[in-house]
Amino acid sequence: MFVAKSIAADHKDLIHDVSYDFHGRRMATCSSDQSVKVWDKGDDGEWHCTASWKTHSGSVWRVTWAHPEFGQVLASCSFDRTAAVWEEIVGESNDKQRGQSHWIKRTTLVDSRTSVTDVKFAPKHMGLMLTTCSADGVVRIYEAPDVMNLSQWSLQHEISCKLACSCISWNPSSSRAHPPMIAVGGDDSNGAYSGKVQIHEYNENTRKYAKAETLMTVTDPVHDIAFAPNLGRSFHVLAIATKDVRIFKLLPLRRESANSSGPTKFEVQVMAQFDSHNSQVWRVSWNITSTLLASSGDDGCVRLWKANYMDNWKCTGILRGDGSPVNGSSGPSAALSAVGVPGAAQMIVGAATAGRKKAQLMPG
Amino acid sequence: MSSGYKPDILWSPHHADRYVICDTELSLYRIGPSGSSETKAGALQLSEETAATLLAINSDTPFMKCVAWYPKHEPECLLAVGHTNGRVVLTSLGQSHNSKSKDLAGKEFVPKHARQCNTLAWNPVDSNWLAAGLDKHRADFSVLIWDISSKFSPEAVPAEKVRLSGDADSGLLVTKPLYELGQNDACLSLCWLPRDHQKLLLAGMHRNLAIFDLRNTSQKTFVNTKAIQGVTVDPHFQDRVASYFEGQVAIWDLRKFEKPVFTLNEQPKPLTKVAWCPTRMGLLATLTRDSNIIRLYDMQHTPMPFGDEVEPTIMERGVQPCSESIISSFAWHPSAQNRMVVVSPSRVMNDFTLFERISLAWSSTTSLMWACGRHLYECAEDSGQAAEAEKDIATKMRERAQSRYGHDTVQVWRNHVLAGGDDPQLRSLWYTLHFMKQYTENVEQKQQSNKQSLIYSGIKNIVKSSSGTTETRRCWSGSDRQTDVPRFHSEERSLALQLCGWISQGPDTDVEPFLKSLEQEGEWERAAAVALFNLDIRRAIQILNKGASSEKGDLNLNVVAMALSGYTDEKNSLWREMCSSLRLQLKKPYLCIMFAFLTSEPGAYDGVLYESRVAVRDRVAFACMFLNDAQLPRYIDKLTNEMKEAGNLEGILLTGLTKDGVDLMESYVDRTGDVQTASFCMLKGSPGEVLKDPRVQCWIENYRNLLDAWRFWHKRAEFDIHRSKLDPSSKPLAQVFVSCNFCGKSISYSCSAMPHQGRGFSQYGVSGSPTKSKVTSCPGCRKPLPRCALCLMNMGTPVSSCPGTGKADEKADLTRDKKLAQFNNWFTWCHNCRHGGHAGHMLSWFRDHSECPVSACTCKCMQLDTTGNLVPSDSV
Repeated sequence: MFVAKSIAADHKDLIHDVSYDFHGRRMATCSSDQSVKVWDKGDDGEWHCTASWKTHSGSVWRVTWAHPEFGQVLASCSFDRTAAVWEEIVGESNDKQRGQSHWIKRTTLVDSRTSVTDVKFAPKHMGLMLTTCSADGVVRIYEAPDVMNLSQWSLQHEISCKLACSCISWNPSSSRAHPPMIAVGGDDSNGAYSGKVQIHEYNENTRKYAKAETLMTVTDPVHDIAFAPNLGRSFHVLAIATKDVRIFKLLPLRRESANSSGPTKFEVQVMAQFDSHNSQVWRVSWNITSTLLASSGDDGCVRLWKANYMDNWKCTGILRGDGSPVNGSSGPSAALSAVGVPGAAQMIVGAATAGRKKAQLMPG
Repeated sequence: MSSGYKPDILWSPHHADRYVICDTELSLYRIGPSGSSETKAGALQLSEETAATLLAINSDTPFMKCVAWYPKHEPECLLAVGHTNGRVVLTSLGQSHNSKSKDLAGKEFVPKHARQCNTLAWNPVDSNWLAAGLDKHRADFSVLIWDISSKFSPEAVPAEKVRLSGDADSGLLVTKPLYELGQNDACLSLCWLPRDHQKLLLAGMHRNLAIFDLRNTSQKTFVNTKAIQGVTVDPHFQDRVASYFEGQVAIWDLRKFEKPVFTLNEQPKPLTKVAWCPTRMGLLATLTRDSNIIRLYDMQHTPMPFGDEVEPTIMERGVQPCSESIISSFAWHPSAQNRMVVVSPSRVMNDFTLFERISLAWSSTTSLMWACGRHLYECAEDSGQAAEAEKDIATKMRERAQSRYGHDTVQVWRNHVLAGGDDPQLRSLWYTLHFMKQYTENVEQKQQSNKQSLIYSGIKNIVKSSSGTTETRRCWSGSDRQTDVPRFHSEERSLALQLCGWISQGPDTDVEPFLKSLEQEGEWERAAAVALFNLDIRRAIQILNKGASSEKGDLNLNVVAMALSGYTDEKNSLWREMCSSLRLQLKKPYLCIMFAFLTSEPGAYDGVLYESRVAVRDRVAFACMFLNDAQLPRYIDKLTNEMKEAGNLEGILLTGLTKDGVDLMESYVDRTGDVQTASFCMLKGSPGEVLKDPRVQCWIENYRNLLDAWRFWHKRAEFDIHRSKLDPSSKPLAQVFVSCNFCGKSISYSCSAMPHQGRGFSQYGVSGSPTKSKVTSCPGCRKPLPRCALCLMNMGTPVSSCPGTGKADEKADLTRDKKLAQFNNWFTWCHNCRHGGHAGHMLSWFRDHSECPVSACTCKCMQLDTTGNLVPSDSV
């Protein structure tokens, strides 16, 4: 059972990304209105916008939080070809409740010559590292050598993907058995017969990232990509938003010899594939235990997917993008979706059967 | 505008709920929520939520070619209709009572030479001006701008012509246009420029687009192009114009009018309609002939003016508003975001909202936030109503953490109750760990350390080391016949039976206590099976009878008891034959294995051993009793591998907490993600090798990380304490050392004796060092310690009472709890300004102030750390 509730976002244009912080008590949104907003969850459980400022001179595509042990740090990327790092400072505000907080731009990363399409912090155990990808096909990995000085970032790696990169995802595994790994998705509609998802892995010996895998079966434009939280599992799970939702399992094969320096080989399995969005899928997101996957698509719906113990995935809920129930029972709920009064819209959508009809399960 | 009989759709410029469908007649519809009182019975369903009601039909204009809606609010529903003969007629729908509309409706504007009227456009500012674009005529202009307020037909018009038109009232006939443009050319489309209402953009047959200024009609700027159909100005960007030709759309910037700034990918079929979205910046919808797809081009991120060096970034999308059926035309809703109504050739209408890309994210506490357009929606799992089995493991782990799952170290088995008590695997796991611990404790008392390490290595290893097995043949109790059922005994086997829970500690090998406890829990079949395996048919029958007569008992148990009582060991008896065939139909696994046991040959117990519905511990116990030294390890190995493969926690009984056990747990974690159980289970073992396994460390780290993300900091601290008991290496060092200003030595007496769990980073977690003694000076050099910024006493002085705030509840807060009072004495300071004092004083100061209590210090000490301001969610 899931209950949907509308929040007055007050952005002047489309919201492109939402991102929770580590604890889920803060949230950041970014929009075509060139601004980023930070939201804090009050004691009453409602979200309050505590900061809103112009961040870029173009649409802001993505916003993401650093782990709180690095402070309150955000990164954003934009159509204006830059990415920026922001840090919250406590200062001028007199409000006891920390009414409006102040965010200061610590750095602007200007290396890209095209729109920066995604920005992600690396997993905490790697230190304070930031990755960007841009439409010209370059993934850049920056590092802040001094976590106390966020204005200094050095470009550590440049990975050329030959792919109009649209999204990146770090493998969150902190296990030493898994070297740092990043997945890149591309959304160019040309070159239809090449794989649109690449996986790059850090090599301890060469100290460089090398391509470990290209998912050749994904040939349609990829809009989003997400590694599942590993949670001590022995394999990796990757969700891909393309013309359908696809879930891949990457089993690292044991190396034949310890000194082989090549990238890890993987056995790649398709765990599930769903075309119930009917057309393009825009986003995918995993919950903290990677047991629930949410996807959104052109049909204007958010779908929730869950696997049972046998690795069979099924749809456990469908929610219309405007929060209204899917199965079309008309009534008061239809009207409130347009209003957007906080707390006013409440509806319950149970496990809907409509999604199951088209869910296509692939043998693992 | 579409031609022929294909219906077109036109939205009212002022009424968000009215639109007109025009094919051979004009039909006015009102759109509203379906099922509401406003909509009448004859409403047409447009979507799941909306319906349209037909308000009026006007069929006066059968030869209509194009329609334009009067742009002013009053009179409403006044339309200009262009005819195939070039005449433009003003007509109204429904609202005939309105006087102004009466004045205007019926007015006709007649060109000198009859030819088709292609397009109409009202001037957006001066609403009396109506531009009509006509086909080419050798001797006439193709664009006529009419003034609808002109009353009289000029004298020049011959009287017979008026008569021919059949209209007696010549006042309604206008033949003299205000302006005439475009001689010897045709006009296919035109629009007024919103930037300057005197300017008009025309698209002519001579393959050009031309901008005329009405103030000086001889001046025009023009450009040659094929794209001369459907010129339309972007309402959000008044220098941007779209026009099309065949399947190709050209986008123009009026400031750089020489050539199109770009053209969109060509469609295979000719386009029929191109329209800018009125509610969204830079969104263009296009429709081709005989198509069911509306193609959308998002030009929001295309810079204007547009440089030559970069590729335009246009996002293309195709939508199918009404799945398979062909769309004749569409119209954007004037105000509702991204909404349009489409109409099919058979006048089936469909209300449809185009969704923007929805972005979404999960929070650590399993609530989902998504952004749709400009709105945010949050969706939380309603855990109260979800069935236990349907719950996500994240929710389960949170609930279990709060019920202190894993922390019961005395009655270890109780942990499965803390976990909810509904998972048979967890139940088995915690009982196994309970029996292991119980045994270890007993052995410790007897100072027999050699077995201690063995017990945690599982039955697999215990059985391997088995030696000195003796074989006995026992009578069935209650029967004097000697049976040929051999039973095996050894020290290790009885140890295994203890782990299985069948027999308790010590030399006593009686199963009676176990049977009693099973009876208590109502597991009659299982109890009967255990009794039977101990060769006590009479007891088994007694248990079954008891079960049948119990409250929720199954009367069939009596029947089973009856069948049991007829047991005979004769090989070829009818009893044996019937039992071995009928037992397969028994639903209850334990009843099934009872008869399997009774009917099988000694040593061939596959019917019992491979009955997967029977708990592993019972099968293993059975195997330890009845399999010989050759069979037993083979069976156990096979079963172990099966368990490892499946990640079945019951297998921990076999593997123990060894590397095999970690393998098993790994596949359990792979399957479920339940690192909580994995961490606690591995911490229950003897302090040893398994904890060093990187996989175990990884689970523990992941579990701690989960607890941190959920702000279960108290639970994580408890977990760390629990862990450090078994794994001393996990103890972190003291975090903070405070040194004396004068001698530089540490001021604490036993800093390292009281380490506090936490992260290596100073922002994360409470820092402070206890000043245990009441000494107010440095233990090294005897110089006084710094003073508290509030009470101005040297640190080390105990806090007397809460200063000055006078709030009664705070005083109660401080005095009520002894532990808290102790904390009030702690030396605390701000990392930023380095002012500080007694923790109690500081806390009460910052309850009412945001700045540091030291004069002229403006540091906002308490707000510096955002994480520090979060409240742990597990403190009750």
